[in-house]
Amino acid sequence: MRKVLLLGFMLLFAATSVFAQGRVISGTVASDEDGETIPGASVLVKGTSVGVATDMDGRFTLTLPENANYLVISAMGFETQELEIGNRSSFEINLSSGMANLDEVVVQAPYGSLPKTAFTGSEATVSRRGLEKQQVTSFTRALEGLVPGIQATSGSGPGSNAAIRVRGFGSVNASNAPLYVLDGVPFTGSLNSISNDDIETVTVLKDAAAAALYGARAANGVIMITTRRGKKGRPQVNVNLRTGMMNRFVPEYERVGERDYYELMWEGTRNALVNRSGMSPADAGVSASNNLVGNLGGYNAYNVPNAELVNPQTGQLNPAAQLRYSDSWSDEVFRTATRNDFSLNASGAVEKADYYFSMGYIKEEGITKFSDFDRFNMRLNVNSELASWLKGGINVAGAMTEQANLTSGGTATINPFFYTRNMGPIYPIWLRDEAGGIINDPATGGPAYDWGDGVMGVRPYAANSNILGSLSLDNRSAKIFNASANTFLEARFLKDFTLRTTLGSNFFNSNGTTYQNSQFGDAANVTGRSTKNNNRQLTFTFNQVLNYQKKFGEHFISALAGHENYSFEQNFVSTTRTGFPFPGNSELAPAANLTGGTSYTNLHRIESYFSSINYNFRERYLLSASIRRDGSSRFATESRWGNFWSLGAGWRLTEEAWFRDKRWLDELKFKVSYGEQGNEGILNPNGSANYFAYQSFYGLGFNNFVYPGAVISSLENRSLNWEKNQTFNMGFDFGINQKLEGTIEVFQRNSTDLLFDVPLPASTGISSITSNVGRMRNRGIELNLGWNAIRTMDFDYRIDLNLTHFTNVITELPQEEIIQDSKNLQVGKSLYEFWIREYAGVDPDNGDALYYKNIMNEEGDPSGDRETTNVLAEADRYFQGSSIPDLIGGLTNSFRYKNLELSVLTSFQVGGLFLDNQYSRLMHPGNYGSAMHVDILNRWQQPGDVTDVPRLENASPNMNGISSRFLIDASYVNIRNITLGYKLPNVTANRLGIRGGVKVFGSVDNALLFSQRSGMDPQTAFDGVNDAVFPPYRTFTLGLNVNL
Amino acid sequence: MKIFNKVIGVLVGASLLFGCAEDYLETMPTDAVSGDEVFNTTDGALVALNGTYRRMWTSTTHGQFGQKSTDLTFDLMGEDMVVHSQGYGWFNAEYNFSQTVNPGNGTRSDYLWSYNYIIANNASRLIANTPDAVGPQDDKDYIIGQGHVLRAYSYFYLANSFQQNVTIDPSAPGVPIYREPTSEGASRAPLSEVYAFINEDLDRGIALLEGKDRRHISHATAAVARGLKARVALQAGDYPAAAQYANAARQGLGLMNPDQYNAGFSKYNPEWMWGLEIIDDQATIFASFFSHLDPIILSYASLGGQKKINTNLYSYMSDTDARKANFITPGTGAGTTPDYASIKFVVANPGSWDADYLLMRASEMYLIEAEALARTGQDGPAADLLNELVSARDAAYSFSGAGQALIDEILIQRRIELWGEGFRYLDIKRLDLGLDRTGTIHNPALAQIMELPARDNMWIFRIPLREIDANDNIGMSDQN
Repeated sequence: MRKVLLLGFMLLFAATSVFAQGRVISGTVASDEDGETIPGASVLVKGTSVGVATDMDGRFTLTLPENANYLVISAMGFETQELEIGNRSSFEINLSSGMANLDEVVVQAPYGSLPKTAFTGSEATVSRRGLEKQQVTSFTRALEGLVPGIQATSGSGPGSNAAIRVRGFGSVNASNAPLYVLDGVPFTGSLNSISNDDIETVTVLKDAAAAALYGARAANGVIMITTRRGKKGRPQVNVNLRTGMMNRFVPEYERVGERDYYELMWEGTRNALVNRSGMSPADAGVSASNNLVGNLGGYNAYNVPNAELVNPQTGQLNPAAQLRYSDSWSDEVFRTATRNDFSLNASGAVEKADYYFSMGYIKEEGITKFSDFDRFNMRLNVNSELASWLKGGINVAGAMTEQANLTSGGTATINPFFYTRNMGPIYPIWLRDEAGGIINDPATGGPAYDWGDGVMGVRPYAANSNILGSLSLDNRSAKIFNASANTFLEARFLKDFTLRTTLGSNFFNSNGTTYQNSQFGDAANVTGRSTKNNNRQLTFTFNQVLNYQKKFGEHFISALAGHENYSFEQNFVSTTRTGFPFPGNSELAPAANLTGGTSYTNLHRIESYFSSINYNFRERYLLSASIRRDGSSRFATESRWGNFWSLGAGWRLTEEAWFRDKRWLDELKFKVSYGEQGNEGILNPNGSANYFAYQSFYGLGFNNFVYPGAVISSLENRSLNWEKNQTFNMGFDFGINQKLEGTIEVFQRNSTDLLFDVPLPASTGISSITSNVGRMRNRGIELNLGWNAIRTMDFDYRIDLNLTHFTNVITELPQEEIIQDSKNLQVGKSLYEFWIREYAGVDPDNGDALYYKNIMNEEGDPSGDRETTNVLAEADRYFQGSSIPDLIGGLTNSFRYKNLELSVLTSFQVGGLFLDNQYSRLMHPGNYGSAMHVDILNRWQQPGDVTDVPRLENASPNMNGISSRFLIDASYVNIRNITLGYKLPNVTANRLGIRGGVKVFGSVDNALLFSQRSGMDPQTAFDGVNDAVFPPYRTFTLGLNVNL
Repeated sequence: MKIFNKVIGVLVGASLLFGCAEDYLETMPTDAVSGDEVFNTTDGALVALNGTYRRMWTSTTHGQFGQKSTDLTFDLMGEDMVVHSQGYGWFNAEYNFSQTVNPGNGTRSDYLWSYNYIIANNASRLIANTPDAVGPQDDKDYIIGQGHVLRAYSYFYLANSFQQNVTIDPSAPGVPIYREPTSEGASRAPLSEVYAFINEDLDRGIALLEGKDRRHISHATAAVARGLKARVALQAGDYPAAAQYANAARQGLGLMNPDQYNAGFSKYNPEWMWGLEIIDDQATIFASFFSHLDPIILSYASLGGQKKINTNLYSYMSDTDARKANFITPGTGAGTTPDYASIKFVVANPGSWDADYLLMRASEMYLIEAEALARTGQDGPAADLLNELVSARDAAYSFSGAGQALIDEILIQRRIELWGEGFRYLDIKRLDLGLDRTGTIHNPALAQIMELPARDNMWIFRIPLREIDANDNIGMSDQN
């Protein structure tokens, strides 16, 4: 009120000076976030009391006094801006909410929110503005590079989620995934059912003070998603139209072509005949030439007779040979895909209620044929003041998703990524005649596929298959419905108390089809096989929270106590039938034979009591404490209750009297916290959740003919209990002169009582028992900086940088070492420490691959000395380093010139090793039928050759075994997002009848990757081992946002 | 009124602060049942028994599908089964012996060890828990008796995979013996003790199963136990016992006629003593024995992994021998069935994977008895048995030799008759032969090992590393 009066007075004062001075300026003030004009903003001439307030449409007109050089523009919730007047008369001013007044920033915390100034924990918040630049379907894919302390995988396939890890890895066998909380309710639905346009903030809670109130599920961090709500003021209607194209981001490995392939295969065969069958090189050369095409399944891509394809003396391709055909499987399977993303939302507030509703549609094609994702989503958020003492609200959302999936990962011939990568270059997709012309299929009239089943030849790799043919006839799809409804009632009583009860529910239903066609491929011999499954998951969270807030003079207390029930039920049913009389129908009704059917139910429940208290004195000294007691159905009656707690303290030095005169320092807060959180996310070996690990079971379903059967599957462990994380966090939040803001933190997570699948001797018949043993420690440092480098009327430049370094070390184990594939868990080593054979290069005399092995002492133990061996099986394994990087981070450069905005987000990793299994497969010594990497051209060929690629020798087991040869530095720089946006001048927009604003933008997600090897995706997995999976893609988008 | 509303609201809210009923947190799975519940009654124990049989053909990979993947491995490590080409690569490493020396996870060494111990552990639980179940004593005997037979069966394969033949050094370290279910690892017991344990179990099995009607072809009977006694005795060189038990085991059984012999070995018939009946929805499809043996249907066998017979063995059969028809006649091979390819094991109904697994049949008993008799100087009865068996396949057959010639003839007929049924590795070891794959159609590039001396360390599988890691009583120095 006082402000308005003041402004009124100023206005009056300004008006009077009009007569004295001549020049009149005018303009608009708007938010740079959504382009919405700001009514009531103050526009003041610096060093004077001359100023005006903007009108309802954000417009102002001002007459300048003498010597007016600068304007100062300020508004509630926005950063104050100063700009030079110069000699212009029209101003279009955008205020940034990027560095709003600290007092107004609120942190989303468990069971409520807190002013950032009163918060003692560690958190990072990504706002809508950060999310909206990235054109990704799941918000999980937008966090990397924006939030310090997190690592993310690249995700796989259209619409997919990224896996996220917060501050290292807390668990060996249990889940390392954070807890997701949607609008205050733990969320079990599909993360990609949440529309990014509906999200206001995503807050990552990282330490005990921030997260411990989620107790048993908080050990791996908590990610809170808060959806939008209506605000007071003019109703908002936003229309977003985005359309884009996608292509492959990480390219395919570079592989040899037909000519090299035949020559290399010839050489591999000749060498095998010489070295293993004892033939003379001359005889071997002749034999290799004669049998070359036969060995490759009968495929001759050239127009010369088979035996004349490669010269038996030189190993060179016949110069007269002309290609008859040349098909690229990759080119045929991959495509340029399209992405369309439309959404509409409306929000506002009336006297005693606010509302937000939205609808959206995304169709994201896969960059491979036969894969896509499409989603309809809708949401309604309403809050209402029902009485002076009673509030209530509901958030309901639904998303309908349909996705066409591909088999991603593994070596099955139905995995198109493995198939197209490893298919030799000489194998055609379509049947060819003598001249190389495509033969048509009489049934369809179109080109006939070559199934590699004997018509042209029998492929040595992937006979009787054609990935394009199979995928075009198969069906691997899912229809998913995800609905969530969270409703609350909150009563205020006795002045300082509120009681809030929330009922949150989520319904997830996936109806899946896996149909293998009846005509060709794996299921042709049973005329088709179809599996239909239905996976229904229903989750309820019901809580009651009593809240107390009171200010006593300079003391402020806020406390809460509550109770919560969580219940999760999963019903799964699946049926398989074979014998499909008519192609193209995957439904079970017409199928002749029932070949499988099962159903089961899983239940998971948690009951919790919790309390927390926050205290501060003059917002200067901050204290917080929390405690939660959780009981979980995952543990036995006597072991299931656990207590989790946290203590936090903060000291805002800038509130001290002796600091007050240091005006350049806006904020300096020291904070420290310690506490214990739990993890109960026990997993089965296949990665699915295990809800019953403490019980001894006979697994059902082992039926023998018509007799039901069961076998022992697990041993009882009634003392099985929570995995615990003792988390320590200490750091500073600071802000300098409205220019620089940041946080620096050190952290330590001690994971104790690890939920470990302790190996038992296999001879006891049970290979492991889940127990609490072992300890692990993650320790690290995080830096988060935001710097407003330049801030003028026309040009802004801001840099955001975050850096994280952490180490992971196992500090206690149930046994000396646990070998898990390429890793070996040992005390003092990290969770992802490679333990593989060590490559000693190539013997220049004979081209053998050499590996190190131990020299044994008299007792038969390693003496410490090593020698080399050319027999892979004799090679010993050694520690070779970890996949955990030394440094991860993100850098955002944002520029604005007038109404034009450009931002570039880069994420990067320094260090960490990667075991490139996919590359090693392509570096085989001559396996018939499989593609080869171009690096094979550097192979050893004759005595004296110095190279690190051993000689070719068909079927040699010693040449390309997994060893340190295939380890590579995983450092990368990924230009994750470039967005160029233009906001229509408000005047222009207004002229079009649009009051809010119009923005157009173009963006590229996953623009560029710099890494050690083309073809390798260093972000595919945390453990640094790759598989043949759906590669990440680049997205080009054009977008239009209209705020009506 | 307003105050009243508030009070009600607060009371309702506060009441919700109290917890739920005590059993809210008690949840149970639906696809598993607690061990206690299984053994409450003999009906439940029967479920555990049937589950153990099912486990004998459950697949974990396309090369690991229970007992028949062991049997296939044992033939591939001999000279009589020839692999046509690399195909999809399954079992190549068994064929070229690289799996025996590899103790890593998921290898054949690992599977032979863990699979057989899984069966043994389930059997031990049947033996330990069934006595307290509620139900008729006859049912208990039926279940416990089979528990003993199954355990003996597993230990027989363990003892022979992880050590040279017992006849070479009975005191050589065998495998850990577990009489009771436990999670504590034991040390390697001497082979002689392992064999004693096997025989003890089989004797128990015979005593408990004597006179019991079998409920299904998969269920072991007293005759099956006697058959195993004979198999074990033959392996241990105890020929009198072998002859005695083989004779007792085959009583009342006939031999297949040529039609039955050529019907694909995928549906049990009166000669079968023991087998696993696998119906379509329980079949393991590509991860099955028939996938690796049947080249006619779309299978790994038809995709390059055809199994062919040693040409010397093929030539040994006379043209009137019905068994010859189980292999593609040279010169007539085409498509997925090249010359010499086996069509002995083919599914009964193409289009369906239902095909039974053979575990024991009368012919083996004839051959054990004949060999044991011949080795104990009873050439006449031995020759009679041999003639009875082979003439059922080849009406023109008649053998009248004696002494070593008779033994040699019995052994070569054994290779022919039992081709593909999982005996060659056992025979090579007990006969101290070594391997010679030369002189026939083995492809050296694929077989890699063309000759291997008897008792070479490659004949025995390595103890899995994960066993050594987790078992306090077995260290690196105990490795084969």
